[in-house]
Amino acid sequence: MTDALSLTAVPPGLWRETIGGLGRRGGLPLSLFAAAGPDGFPEVRCLAETGDGLMLAVCPALDGAVPSVADVVPALHWDEREARDLHGVVFTGHWPHRPLVHHPADLAEWTTPVTGDDVHQVAVGPIHAGVIESGHFRFHCVGERILHIDVRLFHTHRGLEHAAEGLAPDEALPVVRRACGACAVANSVAFADAVEQATGRFPDDATRRARTVLVELERVYNHANDIGAMCAGVGLAPGAMVFAHAKERAQRIIHDLTGHRFMFGAVAVGGSGLSIGADAAAGARGALAALGRDMAAAWRALLFDASLRDRVAGAGVLPHDEALRLGVVGPAARASGVGRDLREDAPRLWYPGFRAVLPAEPVGDVAARMEARAVELAQSLALLDDLLAGAVTPGSVTTVDSGGRHGAGRVESARGGTTCVVELEAGTVRRVHLRTASYANWPAVARAATGAILPDFPLVNKSFELCYACVDR
Amino acid sequence: MFVLLRQLQRIRSECALPRPARRGSLQLRHVDAGSCNGCEHELQAASGPAYDLARFGLSITASPRHADVLLVTGAVTTRMRGALEIAYAAMPEPRRVAALGDCALGCGLLGDPSQIAGRVEEILPVDLRIPGCPPDPETIARHLRELLAR
Ligand code: SF4
Repeated sequence: MTDALSLTAVPPGLWRETIGGLGRRGGLPLSLFAAAGPDGFPEVRCLAETGDGLMLAVCPALDGAVPSVADVVPALHWDEREARDLHGVVFTGHWPHRPLVHHPADLAEWTTPVTGDDVHQVAVGPIHAGVIESGHFRFHCVGERILHIDVRLFHTHRGLEHAAEGLAPDEALPVVRRACGACAVANSVAFADAVEQATGRFPDDATRRARTVLVELERVYNHANDIGAMCAGVGLAPGAMVFAHAKERAQRIIHDLTGHRFMFGAVAVGGSGLSIGADAAAGARGALAALGRDMAAAWRALLFDASLRDRVAGAGVLPHDEALRLGVVGPAARASGVGRDLREDAPRLWYPGFRAVLPAEPVGDVAARMEARAVELAQSLALLDDLLAGAVTPGSVTTVDSGGRHGAGRVESARGGTTCVVELEAGTVRRVHLRTASYANWPAVARAATGAILPDFPLVNKSFELCYACVDR
Repeated sequence: MFVLLRQLQRIRSECALPRPARRGSLQLRHVDAGSCNGCEHELQAASGPAYDLARFGLSITASPRHADVLLVTGAVTTRMRGALEIAYAAMPEPRRVAALGDCALGCGLLGDPSQIAGRVEEILPVDLRIPGCPPDPETIARHLRELLAR
């Protein structure tokens, strides 16, 4: 058990050094958000890896302001913009402040000025042509070449974090889960972990195994979906349809095991109610093995499809150093050669001996992001083959210490590292902050598509296949 | 390609979807007015090989200009209300509105009331209600076919 959360109060004068210097000391900032402090005044909290554990650094917003760290930690750029919009905290030095959650009518308030000969804007969304979530992109182009993209999300902001406040953790769970259908399991497990940590509890073996089964099942249907989506992005209908059907098969297996195609309600706080008998587990194991064989055959066919290779190789490159700078996570990071995967160190889940897999040539293009999904699919199916070798039984949690007010949960979702920080008070949620992998990766979509031509944007976008709902909450 | 086409052929014959007796068609335009993406996944699956909405003459169209039905998912957020109304206004008559999923029907946990403009019903005249969280592709197809029969 190596996931204790240490609470550190940091005065504003030391904030930049504490957070900005983490990288130099072998640490990594994970999320930043504002909350009401114990005295009711706003404060800013930053969850970070320190090199020997997790730290929640807290800085009071004296006179409503905290020094900005966005220039030294670009990965926290959106976090600061959101905290300003939602909690009114001013980040000194963060200039210009462009609203993220708020949608001012004046273009100049939220877009980057891009000028020059023949530079023009193309506005797309919030409603898109396909069955896609709502979001708005403003492309600054010359001809078809994209010079810069301003992304405006939060169209589906439902205020879920706020709605969860004041609720008991088990009532707050379905509210938090509504953030996203396709990441429902990962987000729920992150929330449950955070609450359990805040209350000094640790999941037993059965709970850890059950949750891992759910997280991996979620990855399988999502990765199948994503490979199909990339095929659709280049107009390769046979590939799109075969993988759409693979996703459907995965979801039918999931429905048989959990009673819901997206596993809504399968995760609980303080234990696990999931029960899969030995026969059902064996049946699912066989069905998943057959699915794995068909997907592997289809994937090999895609590797030899000249028109697909031609479109994906070299498209939408996210260089390694940019992936690091922007704090990119998940398959997108691994496709750029950043070999991080939270499953390598996940004491609250069940990943003995896990090692991240990377595509053979992690050069950060669409091809690499596509291959990342394929190699991870095989890995997840192997994990499930092991986890479903016997019955899955209900589990509980054990009390390990007296807990504190705060807890943090981290889960490697299909899209990457997802973080949930919870503050409890008198048995209810006082503040919950969910920072999903999609939130971490959206700025990288804009970066990777810079320099591409407009018709390639849908493909580059699909190669990340991020959720909007996960960001908007 | 050959491998893919062979797999597809097998999928088609395994699904053995019956041909519909009734003829007709409806063009659908989807708008996510504040959903969790679950309803979108199921709507997409409904158009996939296992359900194949297109065999009933039901297909997703890119523009509300070409649409007979506006399929709305999610609780309508304050930030999506305007776009939803513009999409509806762009549709030719006769037009229908379908509320897809419990959020759109206003029977789920919706979020912070200050961020929600209301149920679809409070904003547009709803002709068809498709319940579920999310409704599975089978349910979506069944309800949409009802509309085709009207
Ligand atoms: S009805 Fe359910 S699946 Fe559909 S948007 Fe609402 S929460 Fe998501």
